[in-house]
Amino acid sequence: MTATTTVEPDLDALPEHLGIYVYGVVETASEVDRTDLVGLDDARVLLVASGDVAAAVGVVALERPPGRKRDLVAHSSVLDALAATGPVVPVQFGTVLLSAADVRAELLESREEDLLAMLGDLSGRQQFTVRGRYNEHAVLAEVVAEDPEVAVLRERTRDLPEGAAHGDRVRLGELVAHALEAKREQDAAVVMDAVLPHVVSCAPRDGASVDHMMEVAFLVDEDRRDAFEEALEAVAEAMHERVRLQLLGPMAPYDFVGQ
Amino acid sequence: MSVTSQRRGGGYLERPAPSGLADVVEVILDKGIVIDAYVRVSLVGIELLTIDARIVIASVDTYLRFAEATNRLDLYEKGGKDLTEAVGDLQESGAGRKVGGAIKGAKKAITGGDDDEDEESRRPAKRPARSRRSSRE
Repeated sequence: MTATTTVEPDLDALPEHLGIYVYGVVETASEVDRTDLVGLDDARVLLVASGDVAAAVGVVALERPPGRKRDLVAHSSVLDALAATGPVVPVQFGTVLLSAADVRAELLESREEDLLAMLGDLSGRQQFTVRGRYNEHAVLAEVVAEDPEVAVLRERTRDLPEGAAHGDRVRLGELVAHALEAKREQDAAVVMDAVLPHVVSCAPRDGASVDHMMEVAFLVDEDRRDAFEEALEAVAEAMHERVRLQLLGPMAPYDFVGQ
Repeated sequence: MSVTSQRRGGGYLERPAPSGLADVVEVILDKGIVIDAYVRVSLVGIELLTIDARIVIASVDTYLRFAEATNRLDLYEKGGKDLTEAVGDLQESGAGRKVGGAIKGAKKAITGGDDDEDEESRRPAKRPARSRRSSRE
């Protein structure tokens, strides 16, 4: 994608119908505004700077609130592109301010120290997200084999019409849910033991589907990335019959900026 | 379509292609620093929806979904299969992937907007986001 216009809007004197979409905060030394990077509505990514920190922004029409699929994709593409060239602190999706003055006053000046500290912590590091999904059939079969009560309840309810034996079904589901919880803890610990020596920090996320095993974001130093990936590959191989292990990233450090 | 974009030399670690909608939604939806609500012009009502999706975790409905998944299992009693074969079956049939639909549904509601057709026409080969999870390696 390239910018559709070569005339850049003056961010300090925007017409009333335009606003400023904020992607994230970077170091003022970033030269992202000299690239062809575009975001929402194919608008070029520009910088609003204050001291050593700068907001990466784009101009959007105010009457058009962001929230469509491609807006989400554009938001994450811009942040990932920024993260690939230097530290970036993501701002929550959908944030639009009225003027560059607001961006400076409400985001940059009031929090400059915090932002600089965060950028410093993120420098030379990237986020990866590890997602483990059970082979649902295999792991449920384990649960049935390991717990006689589950096996009995399953036999009792499986051929009944839906809605019958409600109490038995709830009990069955509860037992299975707890058994899976225990398996998750065990299996996730195996993955964590393997990768923790290679990461700066980690941030687990919730999941509620039957096949959810783990989803954890990791902040990884650039020079440990190979070791991190090799450790994951080894553990993925060891558990591949029961678990699909996925590695997403590198991406912007969404999970390591507070909130 | 495969979710595995760059599997290195027969490795087991999957590397999904970036920027699929389902991944993007899960990864970024409620993340990032927040600017005061009185200053910003817009912030889509996203937080509420993600919270809704998480509430279901320890409910009777959830237990019923787990029970349903367990009852869908086709173990050795029927057809004389052993566990190993049953595992193979999963990969063939895609059984049991509907659980979790409520959560994906809630998230889908956030972004399933007016530009669906738009999205389709730009990338005709793209599958609906809901089926991404069922893509086989």
